[in-house]
Amino acid sequence: MTETTANKILLVEDNQINRDMLVRRLTRAGHAVICAGDGEEALQKMRAEQPALVLLDMNLPIKDGWTTCKEARADTSISHQAIIALTAHAMENDRQTALDIGCDDYATKPIDFPDLLAKIAKFISA
Amino acid sequence: MTEPTSEVSAWSSLVIRAVAPLRDAAGRSSVTLDAFARKDVSALIAACDKLEELQVSADGNSQHDALNIIGAIKGYAEMLDEDADALHPAIANTLAGIVSATSASPSSKRTQSVSATGKVSATVTNLSEPGVILAVDDMPENRDLVSRLLGKFGHTVITAESGEEALELLETMGVDVVLLDLMMPGIGGAEVLKHMKEDERLRATPVVMISGRQDMDQIVACIQAGADDYLLKPFNPVLLQARISAGIERKRWHDREEQYRQQLERSERFIRATFGRYLSDDIVSEILESPEGLELGGDLREVTIMMSDIRGFTTLSEHLPPQKVVQLLNRYLGKMTEIILDFRGTIDEFLGDAVLAVFGAPRKGDDDAERAVRCAIAMQEAMKNINEQNLADGLPELTMAIAINTGTVVAGNIGSERRAKYGFVGHEMNVTSRIEDIAKPNQILISASTLDKLPASYEVGDSQSISAKGIKENVVVYTIKGHGGD
Repeated sequence: MTETTANKILLVEDNQINRDMLVRRLTRAGHAVICAGDGEEALQKMRAEQPALVLLDMNLPIKDGWTTCKEARADTSISHQAIIALTAHAMENDRQTALDIGCDDYATKPIDFPDLLAKIAKFISA
Repeated sequence: MTEPTSEVSAWSSLVIRAVAPLRDAAGRSSVTLDAFARKDVSALIAACDKLEELQVSADGNSQHDALNIIGAIKGYAEMLDEDADALHPAIANTLAGIVSATSASPSSKRTQSVSATGKVSATVTNLSEPGVILAVDDMPENRDLVSRLLGKFGHTVITAESGEEALELLETMGVDVVLLDLMMPGIGGAEVLKHMKEDERLRATPVVMISGRQDMDQIVACIQAGADDYLLKPFNPVLLQARISAGIERKRWHDREEQYRQQLERSERFIRATFGRYLSDDIVSEILESPEGLELGGDLREVTIMMSDIRGFTTLSEHLPPQKVVQLLNRYLGKMTEIILDFRGTIDEFLGDAVLAVFGAPRKGDDDAERAVRCAIAMQEAMKNINEQNLADGLPELTMAIAINTGTVVAGNIGSERRAKYGFVGHEMNVTSRIEDIAKPNQILISASTLDKLPASYEVGDSQSISAKGIKENVVVYTIKGHGGD
């Protein structure tokens, strides 16, 4: 089994403006961040880069977050990586579905950043 | 599962408006930022530009983007706000408004307003200080409800049952936030809002619109017309309180900014009054416009220095009553000041009856020396008129001598932080003073260095060489006989 890189976070977000902002804030908080813009790219990077944690937007082009998460959980080379789902709306349904398909946690957008950092801290340390 | 388009659009409008003051502040040349902050501010403004673009094209996809971008703007604003102490206050002051606008998701409003009220009470944080709220609603039970809810949080609530009454109350009462029902008989909420935005004194008072969900289009129109926020009926008490707090906060920021602006205006008036006495108007404006204009310090400049004095004035003044001395001096100095400023000279000092003026600082011209000489000629000519007036008032006749010299001096704001003036120091100042000592009544004496700068059209008399204490080399001076070109 491949060793996960201690602190690395994979941020999967298709909106470039929001992605840039999150990278900036996460980096500032001491995290190493890599990015993917769609579900397909996310799976590739999860395999190649072995991040410790994936921040996964559910609303993605090519392959959405839901499918990506299910596929990640079915692939033993990456299934151990923690996934925090990012859902666009404070929808009770989305939250439960995310947990049901195997996400470790979820955060709603717009991101409450201190809350997100606390959730990240449960899986990795900066 | 997506937001109704109009709600995202209304929210976007709120956010775009909240970013406007930051855009403004960042565009001002006097507002400086470090490289990191500058980058974050630029990213935030670029995100807002994108949001504005999306406002124009409103398909389903752009809505998803808009929500993401609002999230990004929130992130940048929060990040900047974390280091607010290190930011220029003009920037820092805009961040709370942006965080507040980007945090108020209409979707969370909806979910919260339908959820049990007991549960959301835990989210009441960051309450502002109490304020004066004007609640405008035609339904008595709504007015009572709002009064009770807001009263509980320590706010003073004034109520109006119609648009007409609201406008009357606004005339006389100092109100922090207006809670305005959209649908009322007579003057409706939209019209009250319009009146407020047209009135300079009421324009800055935040307005929160209240309406039913079915009137969303009109709410959007109100926000475009300047309303700050909205609440849908039946509203959640916690959200009501949150909107009001945000409104009060905004009003307080505005008041503080207004205060700051007035302070700036006062200090600008002070600078004009202080400097205006010895600098011409355009130079005062130049100093005010350059942010470094008032820094202490100096630079080496080539200038033309002019000194004038009334011959025998000290003896004269001993034989006159004090009031007459002042009358004589003011008439003379008043006229001379006017002439020197006309020729764009800078008056450095009045020493009794003597005037020290400099040409070529703070602003250098191509014809500094010539302006000084023409100014001196005009001053000597003006003496005729002054003496006519003196004669009429039974005052003695005055004669003036003028010395002009060109050379390099140190020019700058000289003094301490508490008391500084734009002044000049250097050897050439002393040389000018020596020339002045030997100038005869009605004479204009110029040094060879000034003559070098003059066009050939000036007539000069024979040269004479002077040596004086503290001056190593002899200085050659000439009498100005007149301007051949006149």
